[in-house]
Amino acid sequence: MKKKGFLAVIIIIFLLGIAGSAVVLLMPSKSHVRITSGGKEVYTADLSAAEDTFFDVPYQGHVNTVEIKDHKIRVKDADCPDQTCVRMGWLNSSAAPIVCLPHKLVIEFTDGEDVDAVTR
Amino acid sequence: MSGKVRKLTELAVLTAVSLIIFVVELQIPNPFPIPGIKLGLANIVTVYAVYHYKAHEVAAMVAVRLILGAVFTGNFMALLYSASGAFLCLVGMLILRRFIDEKHLWMASVFGAVLHNTGQMAAALLVTQTVQLLLYYPFLLVSGCLAGAFTGLCAQLVTARLNRNKENKE
Repeated sequence: MKKKGFLAVIIIIFLLGIAGSAVVLLMPSKSHVRITSGGKEVYTADLSAAEDTFFDVPYQGHVNTVEIKDHKIRVKDADCPDQTCVRMGWLNSSAAPIVCLPHKLVIEFTDGEDVDAVTR
Repeated sequence: MSGKVRKLTELAVLTAVSLIIFVVELQIPNPFPIPGIKLGLANIVTVYAVYHYKAHEVAAMVAVRLILGAVFTGNFMALLYSASGAFLCLVGMLILRRFIDEKHLWMASVFGAVLHNTGQMAAALLVTQTVQLLLYYPFLLVSGCLAGAFTGLCAQLVTARLNRNKENKE
């Protein structure tokens, strides 16, 4: 009997995960982005108005190269060992941010209040 | 062989095996570029060990695995995340092994995996101070259930074989 309880908990966790994933995936993308590095905001932009560009975000001697192209943003290059942020590709289609955990870099959509630097 | 040396040797072999699996898994391209998602095949050994060794023995084994794993990948930031994940996972599984018998090992493994992801997430939240990371948590839950079930089933197969071997020898 006890085992059924555990199984039920597993199924509930699994279903919650699927439901949550669906919610996150269905969240619309926004046009304002913010880049934070080591917990500090280093860059904000309105993607719908941003020019194509790329620039480096340094963190403790390491670098992530961020690229903006066709009103989309991604990490183009990183010198971290796992390259997860590079392989995450363009920030789009969902609310989930691009993160580079080794360099504490986060690129995320924001609501676009007090965007003071449209271009850098 | 005295019992102590035997234990030490067994644990060393298990650590080596899990480290090999860990390094081999690094070579498999991960189709899901989301931080924290992976199969975690090395945990087959962890799950097996949880059910066959004392708490501090498993903990020592996992600690050595984690540190040497970080040496091999050169990714010491990742050590912080995996260590907090592994800690929570171990605590959870060591408690669960009282309630879930070895025949249902895979269930314990699923809880272990989900706890591992939870610990990772907590560490990442603390380090990056970014609440938005939580948006990944649902994905981690799904992958944790699947990967945990998979590694758990593998561990169950391994356990069955090893037990049979032991019986044959005796």
